[in-house]
Amino acid sequence: MGSSNIRDILTAFSPSLDFLAISSGDGRIKIWDTSKGQIQTEFADITGGHDTNQYIKREGGHLSVDYTCMKWLAADGKKKRKLSSSFLVLGTGSGDVLALDVSAGQLKWRISDCHPGGVSVISFSKRNSCTFTSGADGMICEIDFLTGNLVQKFQGSTKAISSMVISPDGSMVATAASQLKILSSTDHRKIHKFSGHPGAVRCMIFSDDGKYILSSAVGERYVAIWKIGGGKKQSAICVLAMEDPAVYIDCRINENKKTPNSGLYVLAISETGICYFWCAKDIDGLRTAIPTKISLSSEEGFSSRNHSVAPSIFAAKLQDIASPSSAHIFIAFGFLVKPHFQKILVSLGENVKLKSSSDRVLFPMNQSLTQPKKGQDVETKVTALDRANAEDALLPIPKFVESNERFKTQKHLALNPDEVIVDLVKSRSQPKTEETQGSEKNISCKQISMEDQLRSLGILGEDSLIDKSQLASSPFTDIGIGSISSHKKMKASVLSMTPAKASGLLEALIAAWKSRSFSAEAVLPWINCILINHSSHIIAHDEVNNRMLHSLSKTVKARGTALQLLLQLFGRLHLVLAQVDKATHGGSQGPAEEDPMDGIRSDEDGDEVNDLYYGHEDEDSQISSDNDEE
Amino acid sequence: MIRGGRSYVSTSPAFSNDAKRLLVCTGSTVSIFSTLTGLQVASLDGHTALVTSVIVVPASSPGSRILCYCWTSSLDGTICYWDFSVPEMIKKIDVHLPIFSMVIPTLLKTPADSERSSDLYAYISAQNINKSERPKPLIGQLRKFNLTKSFIGGITLKETQRPEIITVCPSGRFFGILSKNKLIIWKVPDKESDQAILKKIVLHHTKKFSVLAFHPSQRLVAAGDVTGRILIWRGFGNRTFGKPMKYDEDNPGVRGDDDAESCSTWHWHPTDINVIAFSSDGAYLYSGGTEGVLVVWQLDTGKKKFLPRIGSPLLYFVDSPDPTLASISCADNRILLLKMPYLGIMKSISGIKLPFYAPEAFKVMCAGYAFDRAGVVALRTEDFHVQIYSLLDDREISEVVVCERNHQPADEITVVVTLVTLSQDGSVMSTVEVRLPEEDIGGLTCLKFWTSTSQNNQFELSTVIYEPHRDSHVSSVAFRPNRPMAVTTSEICDFKLWVCNDGTHRKNELKPSSGWVCYAVGSYKRRPLTAAAFSGDGSVLAVAADTAITLWDPDRNELVGVLGNTLGPIKALSFIGQSEYIVAASGGPKSQLSVWNMSQFTISWSYMLQVEAVASDQNSSTFAVLALLPKSVIQSKETTFVGRDGIILLFDVKQPQPVASWSVTKAEGGGLAFVEANQLEDDISPGTRKHGLLAFINGQHEYVLFDPFNDQELVEHSVLVRKSPAAEETVYAGYASLYGELPEFDWKKNQKAASEVVIMPSERPWETIFSGSSHTLPPLTKLCGAFLEALLQKRPAAVEKS
Repeated sequence: MGSSNIRDILTAFSPSLDFLAISSGDGRIKIWDTSKGQIQTEFADITGGHDTNQYIKREGGHLSVDYTCMKWLAADGKKKRKLSSSFLVLGTGSGDVLALDVSAGQLKWRISDCHPGGVSVISFSKRNSCTFTSGADGMICEIDFLTGNLVQKFQGSTKAISSMVISPDGSMVATAASQLKILSSTDHRKIHKFSGHPGAVRCMIFSDDGKYILSSAVGERYVAIWKIGGGKKQSAICVLAMEDPAVYIDCRINENKKTPNSGLYVLAISETGICYFWCAKDIDGLRTAIPTKISLSSEEGFSSRNHSVAPSIFAAKLQDIASPSSAHIFIAFGFLVKPHFQKILVSLGENVKLKSSSDRVLFPMNQSLTQPKKGQDVETKVTALDRANAEDALLPIPKFVESNERFKTQKHLALNPDEVIVDLVKSRSQPKTEETQGSEKNISCKQISMEDQLRSLGILGEDSLIDKSQLASSPFTDIGIGSISSHKKMKASVLSMTPAKASGLLEALIAAWKSRSFSAEAVLPWINCILINHSSHIIAHDEVNNRMLHSLSKTVKARGTALQLLLQLFGRLHLVLAQVDKATHGGSQGPAEEDPMDGIRSDEDGDEVNDLYYGHEDEDSQISSDNDEE
Repeated sequence: MIRGGRSYVSTSPAFSNDAKRLLVCTGSTVSIFSTLTGLQVASLDGHTALVTSVIVVPASSPGSRILCYCWTSSLDGTICYWDFSVPEMIKKIDVHLPIFSMVIPTLLKTPADSERSSDLYAYISAQNINKSERPKPLIGQLRKFNLTKSFIGGITLKETQRPEIITVCPSGRFFGILSKNKLIIWKVPDKESDQAILKKIVLHHTKKFSVLAFHPSQRLVAAGDVTGRILIWRGFGNRTFGKPMKYDEDNPGVRGDDDAESCSTWHWHPTDINVIAFSSDGAYLYSGGTEGVLVVWQLDTGKKKFLPRIGSPLLYFVDSPDPTLASISCADNRILLLKMPYLGIMKSISGIKLPFYAPEAFKVMCAGYAFDRAGVVALRTEDFHVQIYSLLDDREISEVVVCERNHQPADEITVVVTLVTLSQDGSVMSTVEVRLPEEDIGGLTCLKFWTSTSQNNQFELSTVIYEPHRDSHVSSVAFRPNRPMAVTTSEICDFKLWVCNDGTHRKNELKPSSGWVCYAVGSYKRRPLTAAAFSGDGSVLAVAADTAITLWDPDRNELVGVLGNTLGPIKALSFIGQSEYIVAASGGPKSQLSVWNMSQFTISWSYMLQVEAVASDQNSSTFAVLALLPKSVIQSKETTFVGRDGIILLFDVKQPQPVASWSVTKAEGGGLAFVEANQLEDDISPGTRKHGLLAFINGQHEYVLFDPFNDQELVEHSVLVRKSPAAEETVYAGYASLYGELPEFDWKKNQKAASEVVIMPSERPWETIFSGSSHTLPPLTKLCGAFLEALLQKRPAAVEKS
């Protein structure tokens, strides 16, 4: 990997990332179209291209020019759609500054001998359209980059400036040789001084909010972060270690916790063409952050051939922050003769290995000069299938689709717009009736429950009882034993029956259970329920119930298998018994219930008898405590 | 808002005086391209309709070559004067007539030629709006217009059946028009004034002319006809008045008593000629036509030189002031910059490929556009390519050769690329081509899958499947999001799921996958399958079986459910992002837009609309529909819909009332898609934007990208017109007329019914449910829900009152 070094390559993305300008030291600038991956324009020997400069004869053509820095500037922020003015500003080793209008393909302006000894850096603030340049003479020039007029020139340093950057708001200028100095851009006063870089700073950047400076010097294997606004003399607040010196730094710092994706994101490219990405929530986190590396997989190609040039990443830009720990990075990589462009999502901790396609450097199609390896040959092959293409395909699982009623009505709905309307009209009346019925039902249900509660108070509505008695008259059909499943409803309907009806139903239920015409699960809850709710009546009518309960107990015994329900039933029987006891000893019950109970009291003895029977039953069904109670 | 996709070849371009820039009429603007890089430098915005001509004021002296002034005329009835170096408009003159062509001969005259008159005159070919009652209305008018005083001179030179294109002599002495098989040439008077009388010369031919050109210095005019002949008249208009010619006089080739010395004919082009131009020195004649070959004729000898393989019909040839530079405009929306004596192509300025006309029989099968989420559209082009075009950048990304074709207009079309589909991330593309049977033998359908490497957007062929559905055509293709799976449906009742047997186990490869194989086959009741769509998460596949929608589990290939019937065969299906609804557009005589609830298997609501395209936003429950306006609305001359034939409706799935609507032009053959907006956030103030941008591409491949929820920008332009609220009302007016044919809807009865329904004193929910036009009435299920809701809401209120 040592062979690749991107130190001497100048790259600049256009503000909208449409284009990448690359200058590789021969005085030519190639503009690549990043979306097509093709070269768009090449600038060589720029001076000849412009009519107004025709009289300036420069010798030696493009090879005599050595560009030292390059920056792509947009006039009005990042307005992408505006076609107006985005310039490529270049500094040369001879101290000239020139601006190219890339889309027009012309030299826009040139300032000759701006910095004797060479221009070292061009910086640009996003908010106001001024460009600052500095160079070996230690001066800083402010240039109006639309016109190319020199606005001001001031001493930045006594030594040669190796790097310089403007704060985003344009108020501060940071210059660096080996020492970082921050000057006010208006009155050129020194604001800060940071020392710590042993060598000349190569790249430096302000954070978006202007609170931090990130810098890296020649030969240093780290990126230093400096905080502005602290004391006069400070050391770096954070150092991000790398394996090789950095040539490019980009950062996105948003410390406002309220906005989404706040945090610190730093991107750096090393001399060897590896991209490092750090991100953390705050500066403390950044100190311990482990970089995510984006590198090109080197297994292919370059070791076996092409010893001179290795593919590398030579330009990158943080595009946007996707989530708190990941960001979209637009990178240019590969070879300088044919870079590739890709937008990748880098998330923290996931190193990215990019595959470089070395055997298709110059030929975009599949015609490579050297015969590709066998494996590749196979994979570039096109698969072809004939009409027997579905032989081992999955066949659908046959399925019968029920056409439910709703679906059918929808069919009608969809048939004809006229019908749609008619249906709509109908449907409008239909839901009405349904709804009214539904609501009535609801209301009546509520009434019933209220009645039940107030039954003893004699507010029993005759009407509501009538339907219920009807229900009881043909118990199985009308109650719909199986259909009513909820306990509450069951209770409600049982309560609404007259005691006589209930006992009748009980009898019928028992018979049904015996004859197995209904399943135990359906019947038993009912029996249970009746026994709970009409216990008083059942207790009262001894002879009939005697027989009935007896037979029930027999059945219960016989159906020992259905133990679960039987146990429940047993519990109920037990409760009934207990109630009988209570009734005998006078009411702990509410006064409202006492009155009817009083009415029944005459039958208490009968109850006792009943209990006896219960007791017998229970004895049979393995519990004898009831007997004791009795 | 981004607009683009304009035609660069609607009219001939013009070079600036230093030949560094090329001014191209692009819709209602003039775009200025740099000839050095081929990139757009600036644009002149100011016209509101198509710009029909651009005339650069020529430099009178070498020193004034850097002056950048131009005149433009437009169909909006204005003529503008620009300084295009800045660029800004200097003057705007209102003519009140749609101008189809304009020439300013006086500009071209050198001062030595004649002393300039104070006023500048233009000759315009305009459409006469005041229609005459004559049986054959002559709507085209050739008039003189005083640009300085800005009024139309008294003279109407000629009335024609339709506005004609005026051609002017490079020296500014003549201009002429074509009129069937006649050339009508006027001599520009030496001394211009409002009432100056122009001498008229008519030259005849037996065929219909298609183009004409004047020699820069001599009295020589060349014209091409539809059969490919080039006629050159020498010495026309030399005759003086009152000296009638005789037939036996020595003027060979000249017909009748036409005023010309001689006429010669050259014939090389097999079909009609679109381009005729003389070189600036007058030694060569350039010609070109439909066959796409530029022919250079040496004028004196008739020797030919060719620039073949341009690959598209030529439309215009423009010579630049720089003798080494010229441009050709091609019909496929390209402008080629030629290095002149060698005829080498230096740069190509290419725009979106223009629509072409497939054979009628296959129009039904062809589906227009494929979008991916990043704002890339894939379009089929005439020469069996697929153009991948970036909507955000308004640039072509790449072109994929689906099938080889040499441009030869005489050849019959044997292949039609019918479908193109892009996966959502844009990494996989599928194309379907149909090879037409020759004498009923050899028809072949071919499905191709292409994959692109993420590094460069070049698509490479991955899999070819011949006859994917036996003999049937493929009716639709859809990709499954997040997974390499695609579905194709066919008219012979089956659909096939294709998966990519991904080569993840293989290392060091460029492509993520190698081949596609059939994974599953399915069918439903032997019904022809017409459309397919995957849900946003890819878990459900919907296949339209004629009028029903079948839902499938794509992994297990199991039918999950069937949604009821639409009125006609379904053309398009789309899952609505964050909801349980699916929208279906059905065609046929009773075309319909219906929204279905997948959890309840019911129709939610529907409109009788002729839907051209449906697009749904993945991140919300909104979707947009491009519908063609019914004929009655177009003809009703309602002011809102003048010149518009389509409408974009933005719906929220929960309510049938559109959220917003825009009326559009050239909606037929248009496309609609939601694209992700994050690339735009640089431009617009950073905010949390959860909706995508809506991309609309019209039948002419002009497109516009806009934020459908924030449309304050959308007021003034040509493709899209009207802000939403106003349009929304008119939409209802429009649909009322559409629904007029329905049986009378008894509004009162329904109102009564409504009042019966409401047991509670009626409150707002009911009003809103039952108000509105008939077609917006919610279905039964919706009513129930709303009613119960109303009940539930009412209770606590009553409690509070008590």
